[in-house]
This record gives sequence, structure tokens and C-alpha cells, in this order.
Amino acid sequence: MLLLPSAILHNMIEHARLLDPHECCGILAGVNREVRKQYRITNILASLTTTELARFDQAKLSDLKQLSPEERADIAFQMDAQEMALAQKDIRTQSLQLQAFYHSHTASPARPSTTDITIAMEFESYREKLNLPEPLHVIISLMEKDTPIVRAYQIRNSTATEVEITRS
Amino acid sequence: MIKVRIPTPLRPMTGGKGEIEITGNSVGDMIEQLNTSHPGLKDRLCDEHGEVRRFINIYVNEEDIRFLTGKDTPLKEGDEVSIIPAIAGGA
Repeated sequence: MLLLPSAILHNMIEHARLLDPHECCGILAGVNREVRKQYRITNILASLTTTELARFDQAKLSDLKQLSPEERADIAFQMDAQEMALAQKDIRTQSLQLQAFYHSHTASPARPSTTDITIAMEFESYREKLNLPEPLHVIISLMEKDTPIVRAYQIRNSTATEVEITRS
Repeated sequence: MIKVRIPTPLRPMTGGKGEIEITGNSVGDMIEQLNTSHPGLKDRLCDEHGEVRRFINIYVNEEDIRFLTGKDTPLKEGDEVSIIPAIAGGA
């Protein structure tokens, strides 16, 4: 179970709506699956200018090369690495721990895509070396614009299992 | 020796190796060394200004080099460096 304050839940939905049609992304921190703090992280794919995006493509999405072309076409968010690092530093300073990564799906259901699972498993491969706790993956679906759906998943062995979200 | 952990997406450039040992004095040195032994790797890690790309984090032990002294961050015997792509996904 993930305990999520209503204010943070609403803020995540607002974040998703703000960036629609791009996807939003961020980090949730807290203690023992109780979320206490949200960090909105810039989706660099949404913020890049056309020129920058062309350059980004030239870099051949170097970190995503393990994906098939179909999966790569699905890449819709990439966290700004510096902001992610700043958030992780703040989380440590406040004696909190990483609880979840979140992102939105603007036109698909609130469940992890194949790409999400591949990248989550890559994260798993180095997570322990960095002394980070296992995160959940929260997805905000705006498929039905008026009734956003938010779900949380644990991703292990390339399988996503839903974890209940309880509002606090 | 200093151990450098290579993420899966970059392993095609390192002959499939997930860990490489180097002997550099700084992260900048390490990148140059990696690029000498595995040409093209620097381009994957750094932009045209030589700065670490916006979607890459480099950690020395458990600390991001952005909070140390960037590419000047010193390396010493026994350090572990992790090159890690920022979280991505979607749709």
C-alpha cells in the first residue's frame, strides 16, 4: 500500500494536465511507503527546442539504445538528470527516502508500458549500489481527461504488480 | 584501480562489459581514458561543450559529481564510479 496525501495527488494530476500533451514526471519521497514530499522534475523531452531535440536525436538517445525501435518511439519522458540528483540530495537532507517515480500517460491507461518496465529494470540493476530503496512507479492516466486515473506499481523481474494507493 | 560501472545502453561500446577498471586522477581523466579504450564513449556522456549530458548522472561512490566538483572530482584507489541514465519511459 502507498499512502499518498490528497494534496500531493492533486498536485500530480495538475502537473500532468499542465504538460499535456507531453508527459510529466517526478519523484515522491517519504518514509515506509508514506509519501510526504513531491518533486516535479523537468521532462527534458518536453522542454527541448526543436534544435536541441535534433541534437538530442544525434546523441542517438544514447541511454536508451537497448530498446527496440518500437519501444524507443514510445519514449515520452526523460527526467532532467541534474534535477533528479538535486531532489535525491534534498530527500537525503530531510531524512526521507525515495518512495516512487511518477509520470503521466496522456492517451493510454494507467499501467506501465513495455518501455517503462525495461527502464525500471535497468534502474533496478544499479539501485542497490547507490544505496537507494526500491521505488514504486506511479502513473497518472489522462486518457479520460475529466477523470484522471492514478495507479501505483511495483516492478520486479520485468513484471508490474499493482500496489493500492490510499489517500491520506 | 577504480571501478567504472557501465549502464546497459552503453555496453555495446564496451564489448558488453558492465564494469571497466581504470587508473585516473579525476572524472575528466576517466572519461578521456574510457574514450581512448572505447572510442565514441565521450560523445555519449558529454555534450559539445564537454559538459555531462542532461540525461546522464555520474556518481562517485554514492555521490553525484554535480555536488562534488563535476568533472574535476578527484578519484582515488578503490573508488567506484557509476554512470547512470536519468529515469525515462512513457506511453
